[in-house]
Amino acid sequence: MKAVAMALRVVVAGIFLYASYDKILHPADFAAIIKDYRILPDILVNPAAIILPWLELILGVLLVTGKWLEGALFLVNVLMLVFWTALIVNAVRGIDVGCGCFSTAKDSGGDMAWYLFRDGFFVLLGLAAWRLCVFRNKPAAP
Amino acid sequence: MNRVRNTVVQSGYILVLAVLCGLGANLVRPDGLPMVQAQGSAVTLPSDSGEIALKDALLLFASRRALFLDARSGFEFADGHIQGAVNVPVDDFELVFPKLADRFETVDAVITYCDGERCPLSTDLARLLMDRGVKNVFVLKNGWSVWNNERLPVEKGQRLESLLDLRDNLCVECAR
Repeated sequence: MKAVAMALRVVVAGIFLYASYDKILHPADFAAIIKDYRILPDILVNPAAIILPWLELILGVLLVTGKWLEGALFLVNVLMLVFWTALIVNAVRGIDVGCGCFSTAKDSGGDMAWYLFRDGFFVLLGLAAWRLCVFRNKPAAP
Repeated sequence: MNRVRNTVVQSGYILVLAVLCGLGANLVRPDGLPMVQAQGSAVTLPSDSGEIALKDALLLFASRRALFLDARSGFEFADGHIQGAVNVPVDDFELVFPKLADRFETVDAVITYCDGERCPLSTDLARLLMDRGVKNVFVLKNGWSVWNNERLPVEKGQRLESLLDLRDNLCVECAR
């Protein structure tokens, strides 16, 4: 079970590291994608575009190294749920946005159903990693 | 309980670290983003002062974001000028400039114009304004003709600024 937990952790880390790479390189493009989601107020668009990719990078590094796992996996799951919810909200509103999940390229917009399915799977991965890495043992009695 | 405390404390550290890394990297990189996103505008302005295209001048005119300065003589101005423009003949610059100082702060662009492809007055006026520290000064080349040819809003007569005992101009009642 320990090997499965580690494998899950590394897979989720890979997702976050890969997701952060292009966004760190192209913050202006990522800001445009965040703006397209029409969820955040304008004043928060650039701060989110500046900070979010670095948060993803740091979470990826922490998951690979196994440090601060309780905090890292909690934030990973929060982010996964936020991203997935944002996609669902826009799907319901009928706004077909470029996902911006892994690429900031202008032509990376596409199949919303696929994004929803894929990100839903990532949410499950994140929850499974959290369950196996953090909740596998009962905390020591005080 | 330890688990909850660890989760909260570690999450806090991670978030602070992400904010510091993000802001730090943004500060040092040449293509860093401003913290507040600028409102998009269809107006294309030269990065520094220079010539402005008619369509951009019109957009600024329609949204009342520009101050138009007519560099021609008082007689020509009285005969017709861009609606809302202020007559600032180059020879009267020193007299008129102090009266306009407050208005430069309230607009996004100051647009000078005269009449004719080779008319130097608008460029001379723009240079005088820039020498006095006015920002975002643009020249609408052959401004009166191109504006008038497109039947854009014009008016006749003297503006108040030209009647402040600055010069003994011919006074013509406004057309309206």
